[in-house]
Formats: sequence, C-alpha cells, structure tokens
Amino acid sequence: MNKIFAIAAKELKAYFKSPIAYIVLIITISIFNLFFFMVIDENRESTLRDIFKVMEFLFVFIVPLLTMRIFAEEKSTGTMEFLMTTPTSNTVIVFGKYLGSLLFFSLIIGFSFSYYLIIEYFGHPDRAATFLGYLGLWLEGAMFIAIGLMTSSWSRNQIVSAMCTYVILIFLYFAIGFIKYVSTTLEPLIQYVGVLTHSENLTNGVLATSDIIYFVSIILFSLFITRISIENRLWR
Amino acid sequence: MIIVESLVKNFGSFPALRNVSFEIKKGEIVGFLGQNGAGKTTLMRILTSYLLPSSGKVTVGGYDVVRNSLALRQKIGYLPETPPLYLDMTTRDYLRFAAQLKNIPAARERLQIDKVLEECDLKDVANKTIGILSKGFKQRIGIAQAIINDPEVLILDEPTNGLDPIQILQVRKLIKNLEHKQTVILSTHILSEIQQIAQRVLIIKAGSVVADDLLPNLLKKENQTSLENVFLKLTS
Repeated sequence: MNKIFAIAAKELKAYFKSPIAYIVLIITISIFNLFFFMVIDENRESTLRDIFKVMEFLFVFIVPLLTMRIFAEEKSTGTMEFLMTTPTSNTVIVFGKYLGSLLFFSLIIGFSFSYYLIIEYFGHPDRAATFLGYLGLWLEGAMFIAIGLMTSSWSRNQIVSAMCTYVILIFLYFAIGFIKYVSTTLEPLIQYVGVLTHSENLTNGVLATSDIIYFVSIILFSLFITRISIENRLWR
Repeated sequence: MIIVESLVKNFGSFPALRNVSFEIKKGEIVGFLGQNGAGKTTLMRILTSYLLPSSGKVTVGGYDVVRNSLALRQKIGYLPETPPLYLDMTTRDYLRFAAQLKNIPAARERLQIDKVLEECDLKDVANKTIGILSKGFKQRIGIAQAIINDPEVLILDEPTNGLDPIQILQVRKLIKNLEHKQTVILSTHILSEIQQIAQRVLIIKAGSVVADDLLPNLLKKENQTSLENVFLKLTS
C-alpha cells in the first residue's frame, strides 16, 4: 500500500517537474473560465450542467496528453527495467501510476469548484444535481485516464500512445453520433458503449447504477489490460 | 546461491541462450565475458526475473525466477546496462524512491541512503538533479540504487562503462569491498577488469557457455598466458 503512494507521489511530482503540467493546467483552466463566463452569460441560469458538457468534451483532448508518458517514457529511458526488478508487483505499479494521474486530474477538476461557489453565491443551484455532475465528470475523466494508461503501456513511443488514446476516446465520445448509420440490432450496443449516454444522466442529476457500472467496469478492464501488457515481455 | 539448469531463451526464432547451465556459490565474484550480442545482458535479465526463460530452471537464493519472482527480487540488486534513472529527480529523491520500492523500513531509509551516498562517493551531488550530472555520476547513482537494500546477489551489467580511469578504480574498489559478503555477477568488455575483480570467469559465445572456471585454472587449461588470448581463442 505504501508503495502505491510512493509511486503515485513520484508520478505527481514528475508532472510538476515538466512544463506540460503547467501548460495543461493553465490552458485548460483558462478555457474553462472562458466557457463558464459564456455559458452563464448566455443562459442566465444557476447551473453548471452546460459547463460540465464543455469540460468533458475538452477532456477527450487533454487526457491523452497527460497519460501518454506514463509507461512509454519509462520504457524508452530504461527505468521500466528498474521498476520491474524491484520487489514490487505489477498490480502495485499499475495502481500507483493510475493514482498519480488521477490526483493530477482531480486537481484540474478541483479548480472548477470556484464556479460552484460563484453560482451558489449569486443563485440557488440544485446542490444534489451539481454534486452528481461533478461525480459524472470525475468518473468520466477517471475512465479516460485508465484508457490512456493502458495505451501508454503498449508502446515505448509517447506519440503512438497519445494517438491510440485519441482514437479510443473519440470513438467512445462520438459513438452515439454514429447510431443512425448502423443497423437497428447494433443500435442498443452503440448506445451503451457511447460515453455520452452515461455522463448525460449524471450531468442532468440522474443517478443510475448502470452508469456507474459502465464507468467502473471500463476503468477496471483498462487497468487489467495494462497489468497484462506490462507483464508481457514482448511489449517491453 | 544461483543455480541455472539447461536455460534456453528464444526471441521469436532467434536463440539468445542455448542450454546454459552453471552454479554460483555464495560470496563468489563471477565475470561474464562475451562479444556484443553473445547473450550476457539476456542472461542477466533472466537472473533478475525481468525476462522469463523459454525453458529451463533458474533459482536465485532458492527462489524460482518464474514462481517466486517477488521474493527473488528482494534478494538482488541490479544495475542494467544504461543506469535506470529518473532524470528530473534529485539523487536523494531517487534513492529514496528506490528504497521505498525495495521494502526498506521507513526508519532505516535515511541511514541506508546516507550509507550508499558515502560508499559511492555521491554526497556532493545528493541534492542535485540527476539530469545535469555527468555520466560517471549517473553510473554511480545506478550502483547506489543497486546496493541500497544490501542485496545478497549483486548483478552489474558493465558497471564501469563510460567512467574515467579514476572512477573505474573507485568502482572496482567498491566491488572488491563487497567480497565475501555478497555474490557478485558482472559483465564487461574490459578483460583486465575481470582479471582484477573476478575470481571466476564465464565466457559466453552465441548464447552458449564455452568456458566456466576459476581464472588460474582457465589459463592453465587453455595453455595461455593471458585472459585475452583465452578469450580470442574461445570466441573467434
């Protein structure tokens, strides 16, 4: 357990030692602020629903940049050999790395909490719905990161990893847009696979077990594949 | 301490190690000699459980590389060919991370770190970022990482690679000092180095062990005056 925290802390520090963390933080938060202003100015409603939708759309593009280096860098610099010859199990390595990125992502979301404070000050937002919206946003990000972690374990090249993540995330995000082109038998499947089907419920303040199961199962599946792929010596 | 029985390792259809068997007793210092691509690094990676054998049985300290790899890794210290360093960390942070992964109790962490900083003559650069240090320092940080948990078996892949003559002497002295306490396996291209450090030599050619004997016996058996002649005779 201590080792999971040690690896997570090392990951988190690594983010802040490279400029990418600051660039991502500044750009993301600036864009969020801009959209927060625009959405509130347009709708004049005390809800974060629409800003959540903007945020999840942006995460599709930001998360691959955050996760591409996690394993790919370790492989290309040879530190993977160090990690894997210490008495640390692969499960611990995967969880530690995942936790590190998840904490960094939570920080990004944490900054957006000021939006809630603003609308709480000026209006009467639906607290439960806002909370569920945050939960949905966080779960979705957690899922994106797990997918990014998985693709990072496939290659020693960070660009390859980022591209694989983009392909998967863009497919999941825009899946429901393809529905009209597929046969009716496939329709429920695409509907289920599409991430928007599930996140929309939460951002609208509806809590359904099936949505939680969707996110958690994809997270666990991705972590499981990550563990297998770092174990598989061919991919090192 | 180390028992290798009919070890075979194939990379696809390429045989990297063919039917290698040997035994290394506690406290021995063994040098692996061989041309580039002979299989020295592959053999070391299997001994550290980084790579799995295709067939055959390998045990270190009674632990099987396949079935008890975590317990085995607790007993070894490993310096890969390129020192596995996180360039954005400071020397001390990196050694602390290594100590955490190698299950050193928190109470002894500082003590062990200070000890290896002293032994590897790294005190002056303890708080410097690894990325800005010279090759010699990096190599010694790699060695410090390998000995931080007082391993019973020390596996060093070309430990003096890239060092200047004075540093080479220091590293040799370091290894000599470990004699009788630890079992040491090292590989090198420098034949005189083997003569100075190792008691026993294992010459590998195209994945097979072509000679395995104590140094004086080997010279007598091959009827040669220097290791260089033996090496040239056996590998060409």
